[in-house]
Amino acid sequence: MRKADILVSLLFVALGIVVVYDSVTLGFQWGANGPESGFFPFYLGVGLIVGSLLVLRKVWAEYRQKRSAVRLIPEGALRPILWVVVPATVMVVITELVGLHIAAALYLGFYMRLVGKIGWATTLLVSIIVPVSLYFTFDKFFLIPLPQGLWGAKLIPF
Amino acid sequence: MIEDFNNLVMGLGIALQTYNIVIAVVGLILGIIVGVLPGLGGANGVAILIPVVVTMPATTGVILLSSIYWGALYGGSITSILFNIPGEPWSVATTFDGYPMAKAGKAGKALVLAFFSHGAGGLLGIVLLTFFAPVIAEIALKFGPAEIFTVMMLTFSAFVGLSGKSPLKTVIAILFGFILAAIGMDIVSGQLRMTFGSVALMGGFNFVVAVIGLFGLGEIFLTVEEGLKVEGIVARVGLKDVLEGLKEIIRYPKALIMGALVGCWMGLKPGGATPASFMAYGFIKQSSANKDEFGKGAPAGIIAPESAAHGAGTSATLPMITLGIPGSPTMAVIMGGLMIFGLQPGPMLFKEHADFVWGLIASCWVGNLIGLFLVMAFAPLFASVLKIRFSILMPIIVYVCAIGAYAVNNRVIDVYYMLIFGVLGYLFKKLDYPIAPMVLALVLGDMAEQAMRQALIMGQGSPMIFFKPPIALPIMVAALVIFFWPVIAPVKTKLFGKKT
Repeated sequence: MRKADILVSLLFVALGIVVVYDSVTLGFQWGANGPESGFFPFYLGVGLIVGSLLVLRKVWAEYRQKRSAVRLIPEGALRPILWVVVPATVMVVITELVGLHIAAALYLGFYMRLVGKIGWATTLLVSIIVPVSLYFTFDKFFLIPLPQGLWGAKLIPF
Repeated sequence: MIEDFNNLVMGLGIALQTYNIVIAVVGLILGIIVGVLPGLGGANGVAILIPVVVTMPATTGVILLSSIYWGALYGGSITSILFNIPGEPWSVATTFDGYPMAKAGKAGKALVLAFFSHGAGGLLGIVLLTFFAPVIAEIALKFGPAEIFTVMMLTFSAFVGLSGKSPLKTVIAILFGFILAAIGMDIVSGQLRMTFGSVALMGGFNFVVAVIGLFGLGEIFLTVEEGLKVEGIVARVGLKDVLEGLKEIIRYPKALIMGALVGCWMGLKPGGATPASFMAYGFIKQSSANKDEFGKGAPAGIIAPESAAHGAGTSATLPMITLGIPGSPTMAVIMGGLMIFGLQPGPMLFKEHADFVWGLIASCWVGNLIGLFLVMAFAPLFASVLKIRFSILMPIIVYVCAIGAYAVNNRVIDVYYMLIFGVLGYLFKKLDYPIAPMVLALVLGDMAEQAMRQALIMGQGSPMIFFKPPIALPIMVAALVIFFWPVIAPVKTKLFGKKT
């Protein structure tokens, strides 16, 4: 947990440096029409760097005091989390090809059957009924077009 | 006063149109379901439906959004009482006494107590809203950019000084939110900031996408990590329970009134509902004659936190609608909905769109009453949502979140952002960086920056404009005191020897 804490505050410091660099290039002082574009972000960046360094100092002191720390992710919990993140990401990638509804149908089926160990009948029923009903609600009733991807328009004939 | 009353009647005329009532009921049902499901909250439910709302007339759309919010407020207590899992953060305190009472076979009564307390807390909040909102809006009309900026400072100071979280990490979360808001086009000069030549970053981050990721996916990761097992108590709410609950609630007027008052007061400040419920619980336990009863199913231990939570939730509408400053992430998203309709929340709203404002206030009355009826009648039905296996619910929630994130701007990249924000939300939760102030900073970022720059131009570069009496000075001083409270409090204790 502390290692993650240190890492995150280092990342914040890095972000702060990027922000400060960008606002300096934009100009962070008083221009012809009042404060320049980089004025506000400059102070945000400086604040972020200072704040994160303070957090870093505190966490580092704790880290040196007692090395044993609570794990960020409890033992054995990383797997189920990855089982959510990875298929969800894959779903979004597939969305670019076949559209969101079809990708979601595949995702629902995949997760329920392989991860959730749900019976075939329920899996098939849910992964067909939910996307179809959401398709009609959003695309047809509210007229909010959802991504169709490259081939989605050809795959859904109605 | 009489004018307000006339306006309210006019608003009721709008809120009671058949179409608007149907929309309110739909919103409430969705809201209750969202509230019952741990991991899906009001902020998320509202965020996902923003694209749908755009297709409706403004008043109807906002009625839908706020109904989801009322529904989520009610729904959270069902989960905490029957399943011992808080459906929403503000119903954690309810699990202390609600679950033991339900376990002792009085689940129906516990639910009735919770719902009536919600109703009472909400009622006080709405009365406050109805009669004070016009007054505050009138005062706020005198605000210039400097005053608006100081009010925002006060809002964020409250998160730093009063939330009880690590003040340093809260500051970082706020700054991070502001930085995310600054990415993209500079609203004043039109220059591109922090895009580094990337077209995807030019549009900036939409906070609705951030909310869906941070609150929706982030919570799901936490739930998955804990390996959620739901074992609930079967409950039926019969007419006998309702009567018994009513009789019981009258016996604890102190818990009810104090809870509602604490709630309404805390709700005016940002992030109010959750601390309000804990505070009310603590107060009533302290002042009770038999403290041993608490934790074993004391009725007052349900009444106080529940009325506080709903009171806070309702009175949070007040700063949003009068000052344009949302007190909670859910309110921030509702405010985002208003802005999509071209309605800028703030004092001018009362002048320019009176019909809309009063339609919204009236719908608070209507929505809360219908909500009370709905949960009372169908609590067991809503609880049965939790009987669906998590591995069926979870992918559906992810799917619906993806729809919401995409539909905000019709960009697939936003769905990727949602995933990233989900992981970020999980990390933030684990490392104790608060999410609510970050979301608020993301929402208010552009407005805060604009107000600050305008004020500085007016003051010819001198920051003293933020200390200009009569309005800016006291607000700024209050903001600074609250901001440095974590530093001041120990010093004060040392000096006076008393614990604050």
